[in-house]
Amino acid sequence: MQAVLLLIGLWACTSKLFPAWPGPFAVWRVLVENAVDPAFQAALLGSARRMLIGYSLVVVVGIGFGLLLGRIPLLDQVLGSFAVAIHAIPGAAWVPLSIIWFGMTERAVIFTILLGASGIVMVNTDTGIRDVPPLIKRAARTMGARGVNYFWFVIVPAAIPKMVDGLRLAWAFGWRALMAGELLTSVNGLGQRLNMVAKAQQLDQLLALMLLIAGIGIAIDGLIFKRLEHAVRVRWGLA
Amino acid sequence: MRIELQHVSKTFQHNGQPVEVLRDVSMVIEEGEFVSVLGPTGCGKSTLVHLVAGLEFPDGGRVLVNGKPVEGPGPRRAVVFQEAALFPWLTVLGNVEFGLRMAKMPKAERRTEATAYIKLVHLSKFAHAYPHQLSGGMKQRVAIARALAMQPELLLMDEPLGALDAQTRMVLQGELLEIWQRTKCSVLFVTHNVREATGLADRVYLMSSRPGRIKDVESIGVPRPRHAENPVLLACQRKIISLLGDEIAKVMQEELGETIDVRETDAGRSAPDRSLGMHI
Repeated sequence: MQAVLLLIGLWACTSKLFPAWPGPFAVWRVLVENAVDPAFQAALLGSARRMLIGYSLVVVVGIGFGLLLGRIPLLDQVLGSFAVAIHAIPGAAWVPLSIIWFGMTERAVIFTILLGASGIVMVNTDTGIRDVPPLIKRAARTMGARGVNYFWFVIVPAAIPKMVDGLRLAWAFGWRALMAGELLTSVNGLGQRLNMVAKAQQLDQLLALMLLIAGIGIAIDGLIFKRLEHAVRVRWGLA
Repeated sequence: MRIELQHVSKTFQHNGQPVEVLRDVSMVIEEGEFVSVLGPTGCGKSTLVHLVAGLEFPDGGRVLVNGKPVEGPGPRRAVVFQEAALFPWLTVLGNVEFGLRMAKMPKAERRTEATAYIKLVHLSKFAHAYPHQLSGGMKQRVAIARALAMQPELLLMDEPLGALDAQTRMVLQGELLEIWQRTKCSVLFVTHNVREATGLADRVYLMSSRPGRIKDVESIGVPRPRHAENPVLLACQRKIISLLGDEIAKVMQEELGETIDVRETDAGRSAPDRSLGMHI
């Protein structure tokens, strides 16, 4: 808390030295104005909707493919490196392809989120399944777990901590991909507003937006993912 | 359930090198018998349990269950592992129910069954707790309840009390004997604790290490409940220690590169000094 106050203090000082550089109070005012501005609210809601849809798809596709890869060794040999490759491409690099396929539309943004974030979920689900402790596997087999039951009631739950790690990272990657997608497709959202205010040289607006983007990223991670990860690690005896 | 091992051998590949774990191991566990396998670290005790459980298969010889070769794991042969191996995502009740669920027992029925076994190991208060909330001894109780719930004809125990403190260990030994006398299943109990093996078993197989071989068999004719000071028991323990002394020295030398004559040190004197529990 002290560190944050100190940072804001320094920021205030620098803005006094360079009049073109907006200070914390100016930016705060913009944030408050934006909060009650219907056009801004629409952009925020648009981004939220795309993120929600995109992330839901990431969960379904990422875990779905990850489970398939983990379940079928042959598929893992053929497509395992494919998942790693998808994961290696930054979200922003998917935007051009998304625009070619879907045009300057909301779908292109959602597609960007999907490809920017599902790789890590696939990879983590797959390795989570691969790294299930041998002791757990042995115990399960001696209790008659076989086939689908063995996979579904032993291997999958045992892999959950690794999956949750992947889902947390996917949130961060997805959020970046959303911004890149909106920035380049001009679909009404926070990313597109970044572009808009930059072109209009509205530095106070730009800083307010960037603070908001960082704030949302940190808040969702802290309120949802960090807690989820911690709860899982405690239950699985890893914390 | 009668278990017979005939000239069993097993070799693993370790870093590309073949390591002979078991050589020409033959033993019998009669129906309803409590048999203990006693040996130092690295004598292949765990491998022996895995072979009987059907988790591994012998390279040579045969493992027979009621006269038929083992083809894989089966719920009539339940295993209690040293590290409990509970499923962290399930409650105590969920863990004990697991085997019954795999056997497709209806929900209400398996709940009743599991609850009864949880009560048997005195954990009724913790039925809805998760493993991470339990102590080591409690976890091992759950592991025992989980194994018993499957109504096994053979209980395979791989150093099940090895990680526990002395008091918990003693209490659980007593409870285990009680349960065994009630259920009448056969037991194969692996340990490296001389006192534990002689205190519990009808027969003790002594194993040597690297490769693991049967060095001797001792029948413990002392009726239960056995008193720790029973002279026959003490004589038997002393004999076992002198027999296994060479083995311990061998392991020490291999692991530490030092020559230690165990008979001259702690283990040799520990027959009367039972506070040590006589781990080998």
